[in-house]
Amino acid sequence: MVAARLSIGASKGPKATVNWADLIGRVASDSDREAFKRLFEHFAPRIKGLMLKAGCSADEAEEIAQNTMIAIWRKAHQFDPATAGAPAWIFTIARNLRIDLFRRRARADRLQTCSELPDEPDQAETADILMSRVQDAARIAAAIEQLSAEQSMVVRLSFIEERPHPEIATTLGIPLGTVKSRIRLAMNRLRDILDEEA
Amino acid sequence: MTISHHPPEELLADFAAGKLEEAHQLVVGVHVADCPRCARFVQAIEQLAGAALEDVEPVPIAPDAFDRAMSRIHQSSEETAAPPLASGTDHTLPPALRKYRIGKRRRVAPGLSLRPIELSGSGKARAFLLRSAPGSRMLEHTHTGTELTLVLEGSFSHEGGRYGPGDFDYGDDEIDHRPIVGDEGPCVCLVAMTGDLRINGFLGRLIGPFVRL
Repeated sequence: MVAARLSIGASKGPKATVNWADLIGRVASDSDREAFKRLFEHFAPRIKGLMLKAGCSADEAEEIAQNTMIAIWRKAHQFDPATAGAPAWIFTIARNLRIDLFRRRARADRLQTCSELPDEPDQAETADILMSRVQDAARIAAAIEQLSAEQSMVVRLSFIEERPHPEIATTLGIPLGTVKSRIRLAMNRLRDILDEEA
Repeated sequence: MTISHHPPEELLADFAAGKLEEAHQLVVGVHVADCPRCARFVQAIEQLAGAALEDVEPVPIAPDAFDRAMSRIHQSSEETAAPPLASGTDHTLPPALRKYRIGKRRRVAPGLSLRPIELSGSGKARAFLLRSAPGSRMLEHTHTGTELTLVLEGSFSHEGGRYGPGDFDYGDDEIDHRPIVGDEGPCVCLVAMTGDLRINGFLGRLIGPFVRL
C-alpha cells in the first residue's frame, strides 16, 4: 500500500514556507528575475516529472517544462491567487501547452508545408475564463479535503498521472474492480460535496 | 440558462487533465464555460493536479534551461500577439468555437444540415454543428462509436428527457434513440462523433447512401 499522503494547496505541510503566489506577483509587477529563478528551479523539474509520468517523451517533457516557465513569465499578471492556487495555475498552463504541442504536430503532419492556418490560439485563455468564473477557490480546496486520501490518490493516479487501471490496481494492491468502483465513488463524492458547498 | 444535463464526471476529469481528444475537448469545454457547476468540478480536479505537481519527483532539466528561457523571453516579447480569430466575428457562436475554422453548411437530409469544424487532425472524432428544423423528428439512429452533443440553440427531446441550451447529451453505441426537435425554433447542436451514424429503418436505408454524416 502506497503512503497516501496528499498535500492540497499551500495551507499545510512544510512546503508552505515558500509563497509561490507572492513570487509570481513579483514577476508580474517588477519582472523580478530572482523570483522567477526560484519558480523555475522549483517547478520546471516537477513539470518535467509530471509530463513524463503522463506519458510524454523526455524531449517533449523538457520542451513543455521550458515553455510553461516562459508562459508563467508572460502571464504572471493574469494570475489571481484568489481564484486558484499557484501549482494548479501552473498545471493548467503546462496542460494546455501539452495539448498545443500534440495538435501542432498533428497539423504539421497533415498539412506538411502549408502554413495557411493561423497559429494555434492561446488555449490558456479558456482556462483563465474558467478560473475567473468561480471566485471561491478556498471553498473548492475545502471540498477536495473532504475526499478520503484513498479517493484523492485514485483520482490522481488515474486522471493526472494517466496510469492504466491494471497498473493502479498493482500499485495500490487492490483488485481491478475496486479501482473502477473507487474512481466512480470519488467522482460522485466530489460532485456531491461541490453541490452541497454551492 | 437552466442546465439540467451534464457530462459524466469522468469526462470532466479527463477534460481537466487535458486527456480528451480535440473534438471532445471542444464540446465539453463549451459546456463547462456556461455551466458553473461543472466549472467547479473541473477546478477541483485542477487543484488536485496542482497538488500532484507539488508532490511529483522532480526530474533534472537541461543545465542551461533557465538561461535559454531568459533569452527567449527577452528576444521576442512580440510572440504573444493574439492570432486572428478563425471564424472572425460570428458572435452567435460560443467564444471557444470562434477560434476554429468552420466549413460551409451542407444539407444532409430534409430539415437537417451540418457545418464541419476544422480540427488539427490529432484525434479520431469529428466535430460539427448540426442544425435541425423545428418540430422535426430526427431519424432513428444508432452510433458505432460515441457521440457528445451540446445544445446551443433550440431543444430536442428523447427518452432521456428534454435538452435545451447548455445541456449535454452523452451517447454511446448502446443507445438507439430518435430525438424530436422542439417547436420553438431550429435546434443547433455542437456534436463530437467517433465512428459512424447508422440510420435505422426503411427511410434510413433509403437515404442512407446519400447521408455523409
